[in-house]
Amino acid sequence: MPGASRHERAWVRGARAGRAADVEALFRHHWPLAYRAAYLVVHDAAAAEDIAQEAFLAALRALDRFDRRRPFGPWLHRIVVNRAIDWARARTLRAEISDDGTIERAAARERAGSGDSDARALAAGLAALSPEHRAVIVLRHLLEYTPGEIAELLELPRGTVNSRLRRGLDALRKAVGEELI
Amino acid sequence: MRLRDLLRELPIPEQEEARRRSHAVVRAAFAEREPTPRRRHYLKPALALVAVAAVAAAAASPPGRAVLGSLRKTVAGEKRAAPELFSLPTGGRLLVSSSRGPWIVQANGSRRLLGTYREAAWSPHGKFVVASRADEVVAVTPKGDVHWTVPRPRVRFARWGGNRVDTRVAYLSGRRLHMVAGDGTGDVDLCGEPAAAPVAPEWRPPGLPHVLAYADAKGRVYVLDADRCSLMWRSARFAHPRALRWSDDGRRLLLVTRDELVAFGARARPLAVRPLRDVTDATFRPGSHELALARGGEVLALSADRLHAAPRRLFRVTGRIGQIAWSPNGRWLLVTWPAADQFLFVHGRRIRAVSGITRQFGGGGFPSLGGWCCSSQSG
Repeated sequence: MPGASRHERAWVRGARAGRAADVEALFRHHWPLAYRAAYLVVHDAAAAEDIAQEAFLAALRALDRFDRRRPFGPWLHRIVVNRAIDWARARTLRAEISDDGTIERAAARERAGSGDSDARALAAGLAALSPEHRAVIVLRHLLEYTPGEIAELLELPRGTVNSRLRRGLDALRKAVGEELI
Repeated sequence: MRLRDLLRELPIPEQEEARRRSHAVVRAAFAEREPTPRRRHYLKPALALVAVAAVAAAAASPPGRAVLGSLRKTVAGEKRAAPELFSLPTGGRLLVSSSRGPWIVQANGSRRLLGTYREAAWSPHGKFVVASRADEVVAVTPKGDVHWTVPRPRVRFARWGGNRVDTRVAYLSGRRLHMVAGDGTGDVDLCGEPAAAPVAPEWRPPGLPHVLAYADAKGRVYVLDADRCSLMWRSARFAHPRALRWSDDGRRLLLVTRDELVAFGARARPLAVRPLRDVTDATFRPGSHELALARGGEVLALSADRLHAAPRRLFRVTGRIGQIAWSPNGRWLLVTWPAADQFLFVHGRRIRAVSGITRQFGGGGFPSLGGWCCSSQSG
């Protein structure tokens, strides 16, 4: 994982010193992707909001122990994705319907141009995957971590990450079509 | 690149509203946070505690006994222990239960007796305290106002969990595990699970779903989705269970028994089982899987992820240690020392001793800790 950018180091330093403006900067920079990642794993807007928010709060609480030389993003993403997987697993254990359909409905609302059907197809394809497979796809293709980095973030063997990526993408290809992936 | 673009552009419902709400919460939480005042505080607490471990290790050797004696005298407070708990060394609020009832100690040292209750515990964000009488569960505000009560026989070990808007209280009524909503409604014998061991049930952080761990009378650990009555997993038997503790990320669960420590991850099969007799209290350092353990007169440090590693001794006193609790920011460790009638606040080499604890909390016996909670009544 690359080191922290100069701006990010400054924001973390400022946040640790109690400067609200630097926390705002960290929030502005990192929250949207954290929320998106959580949502794409759990497929539930309220849960994604809780997960991203609690992850951000947990990161802030632990700022004093954070190594400033390391980037903030992977640290936050580790918390977000692991919590999202936990949440999705728990929902599966509760034997609820696996998807509330909001992602497809949202895609349907955004009917504009040719990208619309692609988005719907992708949403449906993602919803059909297990949370573990969604998580590695989100980490690889949304957050752009390497398989080695994903293995570190999720505390999994690299081979497991690779196989989940392969299987997840295979399933997505079937659902979405070869050309999108 | 096509997949990346699609994932980045896929419409997400209510994103802007969620961003606004989260932003407000994060901003408020940060405003309540204690800033790091000095550079040396950037040191990891574990590193700082190593210094204490070194002192303790030296003290344990025969030539070092004089050092131990000196350290013991210092912390025994013959001259240097504060006669009163003038203030907490860092933010947060302490909950202390004495024979007169539970007390809340504010960071500036002011104390308030909540009423004539027995044990007590914080709600997840410190907005309420759940206390018990022999036949009643009572939720009170930090000012002592009664929020609700539920009469039940032989109440023990009430514990409050959940997030800011949806909470549950679990407790034992006799040997039965009960749960009631955070507003005092809907009390149930939880899922008809087997009779419980005399061990406090523990809610998994960080809040939702409401996942509860408890130990049954046969020493099996159950992890339940309490709202659905769905059993997530159940462990094998472990004799003489004493305590359950979650790490604050909810990814590790520690079972303390009379003879061993058992670390669980997300399933019934333990990650590790380590023989270690007579551990009387254990606590995860906030934001980590590092454990502090009270064992006889020692406080030991051990990672729940490396349970078989040799524990480091952080601290030693003569006699037995009572309980231990981390400050909310994970910098200070509070060690109760009934034999010396003292609280010891330990941070690296610094030890703040406070004497006369029994007197300060109304007499009648050394009090017990109900927790060191969050910095303010934030929700």
